[in-house]
Amino acid sequence: MIILADNQKVKLYWVPTAFKLENKTVKTLQVDGQTYRLQAPELTAELVTSIGNACRIARQHSLANMTVAEIVTIIDQAIEKWCHSDYPQRILAEKLLPAITGYDHTTVALEIKRFVRNFRKKELWRFIDTELDNPAILDDFHPQKSGQLTKAIGPTAIFHVFSSNIPGLQIWSLIMGLITKSANLGKTSLSEPLFPVLFSQTLAEVSPELAATIAILPWKGGTHDLEQAAIDSTNATIVYGSDQAVKSIHALVPDDKIFLHYGYKISFAMIGAEALTPEYYPQMVQKMAEDIAVYDQQSCLSPQTVFVEAGGTITPHQFAQLLAKALTNNQLKWPRAKLTTSEAVAVTRLRQESQIQALTDATIQVIASPDSTAWTVVYHQKPALMSSPLNRTIHVMAIDDLAQVPALLRPYQPFLQSCGLAVAPQRLLELGSQLGDAGIDRICAIGDMTRAQSGWHHDGRFNLLDLLKMVDIELGAEALAEHFDPDVE
Amino acid sequence: MLLENQVALVTGSSRGIGAAIAKKFAAEGAVVIINYLHNQQRADELVDTIATADGQAVALQADVRDAEAVGRMITTIQENLGTLNIVVNNALNHYQFDPKKRATNWQTDWSAYQNQIDGSVKGSFNVCQAALPLLQQQPGGRIINLVSNLIESPIVPYHDYITAKTALLGYTRTLASEVGAFGVQVNAIAPGLTYPTDSSVTTKNDVRERIIEQTPTGRLTIPEDIAGSAVFLASDLSANMTGQCLYVDGGLVMH
Repeated sequence: MIILADNQKVKLYWVPTAFKLENKTVKTLQVDGQTYRLQAPELTAELVTSIGNACRIARQHSLANMTVAEIVTIIDQAIEKWCHSDYPQRILAEKLLPAITGYDHTTVALEIKRFVRNFRKKELWRFIDTELDNPAILDDFHPQKSGQLTKAIGPTAIFHVFSSNIPGLQIWSLIMGLITKSANLGKTSLSEPLFPVLFSQTLAEVSPELAATIAILPWKGGTHDLEQAAIDSTNATIVYGSDQAVKSIHALVPDDKIFLHYGYKISFAMIGAEALTPEYYPQMVQKMAEDIAVYDQQSCLSPQTVFVEAGGTITPHQFAQLLAKALTNNQLKWPRAKLTTSEAVAVTRLRQESQIQALTDATIQVIASPDSTAWTVVYHQKPALMSSPLNRTIHVMAIDDLAQVPALLRPYQPFLQSCGLAVAPQRLLELGSQLGDAGIDRICAIGDMTRAQSGWHHDGRFNLLDLLKMVDIELGAEALAEHFDPDVE
Repeated sequence: MLLENQVALVTGSSRGIGAAIAKKFAAEGAVVIINYLHNQQRADELVDTIATADGQAVALQADVRDAEAVGRMITTIQENLGTLNIVVNNALNHYQFDPKKRATNWQTDWSAYQNQIDGSVKGSFNVCQAALPLLQQQPGGRIINLVSNLIESPIVPYHDYITAKTALLGYTRTLASEVGAFGVQVNAIAPGLTYPTDSSVTTKNDVRERIIEQTPTGRLTIPEDIAGSAVFLASDLSANMTGQCLYVDGGLVMH
């Protein structure tokens, strides 16, 4: 049993057990009458290097020799613990994450529960089988259709630069690293450093050997000596975050090392007239409002604009009004996080600019929560894809025909990601294809926008294949080897 | 004040219950539109009374039974005030509440029913249809329909009137079911015999006393009683309450 909170001290890091780090309290939280002192280590480049080395050595003795099935089973057992409401780490996450991130506690509890289910055994195989015809090549050489023997080899060690916008999201990357049998060195930010630490503790409960290949360390992004040490002691780097964060790390990574990045993305929704019947329009509005409310649009999967097709029972304008009411309700159910001054200014600025435009342009209308920045709906009769200052701020675009949307996406092509889509099956594939051409890499149901399914090609890429290197033994080499068998005829 | 920055339309409000509601709304900070059919003088006088008390009101003529006239009235409100937050459907076809001279069911032909239905139901329908686009602009819109406690217990069976008012309660509920999602609340007030008003002066002392005898509070309803409930239903005090009917009759009808 891992001790979670030592005198209410909570460690914001995870390192192989041999390391005893100097701590200091970086934040004190009061939750439910209890004081929690969040502990972060004093880090130096030398320490990061030796932690990275220790993880690699531990990998050599454990993870490298495990089969993928064994690794999947360990992760599954860890996830199973998180699927129980009385699991201590989950209770701690549900208590502390809202206080650390500012997100509403009901949302955090619900979304974490839903998120971890993405990594049950059956879901993990979905990730793996989606990308590898024969997952056994992760363990050994197996013949391919072309005849040669192939084995897939993951990086010895991966340096993850996690983003902090969505609690828990870090373990997606961490788990992919484990499946490729890599040691993992994760850098968190102090905005959400906790979840991967708690999950590593769970892995240690199931398999101390596997957990010893992981280190999770918080430090301020842009601390180049620590980042360089982490990059030097690993052979692949995955960065999540702003374009600035991506560029800053990329500059440090030598060309011969794998560098993957998941930067700024924009998502939107499209609702067809056929989904706006008297029977369905209320749920379309509810689900759209939920996608906007979950994690206050901080996820790159969250919609920033919704295109509403004319010709349904409700007009796009009425959709905007209904959405406003639904967002009012959500504010009661799942209150939005408190904003920083700059976030609040961004929302207020959009409201003011739109209201000024609306004075001379009757095609724009602003509906906003009174006396607060809790939610904002900006209705536009002239459709365009628009980014939003987030925090429950949404543009509703009236459009005559959804088929016109792909042409509006062009300026944003490099940044496009998810599209929540509600249309009849007759239009699904054709629109899907046009959206794909326009740059979208995920088409999902309205109401599920922030919950990517297991096996999703994140930003259109491969979760595992991008990390793997294939080693082929050609037929000739194999045949030649046969000659050298001392027992050959 | 409970209705600050709100714009309220009260139909048929040059006198009686409507006038009491208009005055109370204005006293609570609302800008009130006094809609009237014929009596411009009384409507103007009410506007003056409200202005004297530092309230804001304007009088607008429109026959609520005439959809075009209602449309013009709502357009005038939109153009001059920019918004509309509260609608009180108080107007009805003229009716004299006289228990001694009332028409029995065999004396009441369809045209009498039609007149009452036009005044109560069609009138409210016309106003709601025209006003809802404005009420839906921002969550928080309110519609209040005036019915009658007679729909629950026809102590004097005014057939045409009661039938129309009962239909208006049905309209209140079905409308509430759909526009709740826009943040618009639709409720009804069912007054008991409200005295004195121009319509009720013909209800003589004997009937009034009979009603008082059966009333737990021991008195008739006065227009200000209805106005208080109207302020409640128009304000945030009644948040998340819709499709309901408040009986304001001293407890004569109880659920």
